Amino acid sequence: MLDIVVMMYIASVLSGLIIGSVGVVIATSRIITLTLTILHSVLGGGLLAIYLNSVLNLNLPVPLISTLFAIALSILVGELVEKGLHEDSSIALAISIATTTTIFFGYLASRTSSMALSKAWALIAGSSALVTIEDLVKLSLTFSITLPVIYVFFGEFKYIAFDEDGAKAMGLNVRLYRYLLYSLAALSASILSSTIGILATHVVLAVPGVLIMKIFKKLSIFYSCIMTVLVMVVGYILAGIFNLPPSGGVGIMSLIAIAVGAFYGRS
Amino acid sequence: MAELVVKNLTVEFDKVKALDNVSFNLDSPFFAVIMGPNGAGKTTLLKSIIGLVKPSSGRISVYGLNPFRETGKVRQIIGYAPQIVHINIHVPMMVKEVVAMGLLSSHLPPRIIERKVWSKVDEALRMVELEGYSEKWFTELSGGERQRVLIARALIKNARLLILDEPFSMLDFEAKCEIAKLIQRLHFKMGVDVLMVAHEVSPCIAYDPLIILLNKKIYAIGKSTDVLRFEILKKAYPGVTEFPQGFIIGEDHA
Repeated sequence: MLDIVVMMYIASVLSGLIIGSVGVVIATSRIITLTLTILHSVLGGGLLAIYLNSVLNLNLPVPLISTLFAIALSILVGELVEKGLHEDSSIALAISIATTTTIFFGYLASRTSSMALSKAWALIAGSSALVTIEDLVKLSLTFSITLPVIYVFFGEFKYIAFDEDGAKAMGLNVRLYRYLLYSLAALSASILSSTIGILATHVVLAVPGVLIMKIFKKLSIFYSCIMTVLVMVVGYILAGIFNLPPSGGVGIMSLIAIAVGAFYGRS
Repeated sequence: MAELVVKNLTVEFDKVKALDNVSFNLDSPFFAVIMGPNGAGKTTLLKSIIGLVKPSSGRISVYGLNPFRETGKVRQIIGYAPQIVHINIHVPMMVKEVVAMGLLSSHLPPRIIERKVWSKVDEALRMVELEGYSEKWFTELSGGERQRVLIARALIKNARLLILDEPFSMLDFEAKCEIAKLIQRLHFKMGVDVLMVAHEVSPCIAYDPLIILLNKKIYAIGKSTDVLRFEILKKAYPGVTEFPQGFIIGEDHA
């Protein structure tokens, strides 16, 4: 049996690799706000699943429902933008739905059973200090999906971010790639929320991509992964030293990294 | 039959007409400039021809092809350079990557750029007089050089029709004249048909382009000497009482 501290650090490395691979595309595609909306959706979907499980005695996998709910809301945003609604308005609508769902089912879940309430709280606060083998498997599976997909389609994602109209005119199915990216973001957000917690995911999701663009001339998935793993692992170490929750340590490290990037990065 | 046919084209966004019953034919070889005030539907017209904006009614034929039914074939023969202001320069791209993008439509996903593509990239860069620029970063180039890179990207697949959306925007007059000269050379020497949007036609007036005066509908089509006349221009530019020399009669989309 692996030591719980070792498992925690393995989880931080795997989380870093997931965020590092997806984050660099999120930042270049300028969908950080949408990704944070996806995170809210994950919470709404998670609480919906927890509620249904407790009331109907089902055994719905919470990460799966969260992912599907988040994908559905991100596709809603994409479709509304395609139909001509302003991106900010579309995101605002999606975040309203996500927040309402979170509050509504969080309230209902809390009335149903204290067990459901504790599960809901675990989803929000995270359980990065209590990583299980099952969590490591989930993170590994997610990583084995996100990294190859991002690697294979990195050129396409980059071209679309650089010149969307040009990419469309050259025959790229921009809508398909957009939904692929949303799905990867939703999957990552959902799995990370259910393993390291939604707060830690919130803290670290936008940082690596932005830093990569700030520090390096070339967009690199490799550098992005290295940087995110560093932020995660050092954040966890800091949390251990100062007796903070892991998300707090990751938050401090993210702040330091952003500050260093702002001062020493490219203008 | 004309190579580019636009017949009774109407495009609406939320029931507001962007283009109203637009019709014109262009026979190859053509070098045409679409002029009109901001919001005249110039970019919408270009995007409809490429097949990016679906019309409410009307018909478009590009060298006998329907851009909405034969999208892939049409995109093989059209080289498109969008407005430079729509390019996200924060995405770090090398010149060779930008130019290679033009070959995307001839590859299947994942479109990994093969080694043989790089020689085509060099050839396209030579055509726009940017030899030796392939390893440079797009962001490090001047406005005129960036525009040339976008034209090289449009040319790399041996396009028959070059569609350029405001290629003179954000450039000083000298750079505008150089781009106009390049476009004229591509048209006359390489036989590429050109359809471009411009607010200012003076840089290319010496090359005698066909002028299409548009403000949601077509007001005039013809040679500059016939179209660039006050009594015609004032119909397409309502409210404007005089036109400066050089026909700078609009604002770049900045």
